[in-house]
Amino acid sequence: MIFVENLNKKFGPNHVLKGIDCHIREREVVCVIGPSGSGKSTFLRCMNGLETISSGSIVINKHRLDDSKTNINLVRQEAGMVFQHFNLFPHLKVIDNVMLAPLKVAKTSKEEARAKAEMLLAKVGLAEKMDAFPGNLSGGQQQRVAIARALAMDPKIMLFDEPTSALDPEIVGEVLAVMKDLAQEGMTMVVVTHEMGFAREVADRVIFMDQGRIVEEGTPEEIFSTPQHGRTQGFLSKVL
Amino acid sequence: MALYFGDLLPYSSLLLEGLWTALYITLVAMLAGSALGVLLYLGKVGARKPLSILCTCYIEAIRNTPLLVQLYLIYFGLPALGINLEPVLAALIGLTLNNAAYTAEIYRAGFESVPHGLREAGKALGMKPAQIVQYIVLLPATRNVFPALTNQLILLFLASSIGSIISLPELTNAIMSVSNTTYRTIEVLAVGGLLYLGVSALMSLASKRAETTLFRWAVGTHV
Repeated sequence: MIFVENLNKKFGPNHVLKGIDCHIREREVVCVIGPSGSGKSTFLRCMNGLETISSGSIVINKHRLDDSKTNINLVRQEAGMVFQHFNLFPHLKVIDNVMLAPLKVAKTSKEEARAKAEMLLAKVGLAEKMDAFPGNLSGGQQQRVAIARALAMDPKIMLFDEPTSALDPEIVGEVLAVMKDLAQEGMTMVVVTHEMGFAREVADRVIFMDQGRIVEEGTPEEIFSTPQHGRTQGFLSKVL
Repeated sequence: MALYFGDLLPYSSLLLEGLWTALYITLVAMLAGSALGVLLYLGKVGARKPLSILCTCYIEAIRNTPLLVQLYLIYFGLPALGINLEPVLAALIGLTLNNAAYTAEIYRAGFESVPHGLREAGKALGMKPAQIVQYIVLLPATRNVFPALTNQLILLFLASSIGSIISLPELTNAIMSVSNTTYRTIEVLAVGGLLYLGVSALMSLASKRAETTLFRWAVGTHV
């Protein structure tokens, strides 16, 4: 589903990703962990073209991201993204946030988009907030709307960029619960996170990144219980 | 010397006509200037380098020279080139050109302060750049721009008093001529000042009202 080969990303003289190789299968849930500045978010953002690739290749559902002829907007419709800071459209009601892309990008009918949005908002537990503006919602509610908004395009893959890092500890759970449901439904997910509990419980595979490289990857059991690499051990001893 | 406002009564219509002229000049210059400002802003942030430099130079030239000098240039300078303008037209042109530069900068600041994350969210949903501007950036940017634009309207209204220098028959001009005829300088300045204050305060109040009704969604958000 996602093939990443020798991916390199430079910001000027800053070499942020140094030869990432990674293959993510359909229905797989992959959690990417690692210290700040390790390149996890950049790696994720390369997967839907929010960052351009310096060298190497990424293939998502047969779309080659490093090919300039690839229509990046098609890739983005297939790979939904959830951001750390939600990035809801403040001037649109919750329901309109969810309906915008189906209406303008997928060109679905208003009735269809609305029915879908209502269904998705019910799914994330926010049916009663449909007509509220994002500014009146809590962070956890905003992030759940953001998940519904991404799902409205029927993505085949969901990319999560530290979805709970900006949330108060007591409301992290409501967002993780929605993500867990999604994983159980078989959504292919790549989750950059600091929530080790979530990674341990939900991930099929955990990737540990440091200084722009994948240091170690394996099942949650392998990474959390018997980490092989010194840097993984050092990182986990600090966060667990 | 005792204050006596009674001497001003016969001149009240002159003062009100002056106020009307000031308002009329302000509104026209605001509308034309903010429209021209859009073009200047687009030129400045656009991809065409020479046009961008030209717009930047224009904006900086206007913002770094006194309005008074600009008006002099139009009213007293242009006749040297054979272009003679009526005071009203000269003031309209001067204030419009001046206002355009300021509003262009207001637009730039307003658009730049829309959080980058909103554009990214639009991109991530597969939206095209034009759609992102139209459906995602435009309204939050308008919300950002609105208070600065109404502020600019008030500044422009007050700046229209400079038109008196080129004998534009606006409020300050009326104040000076009433003062010269009645010698009630303090009284007429007080009345004139209150007229300026009253209109400015009304504009400010109206803009606050409009802001809360137009941007109801922004309550509780920090865009």
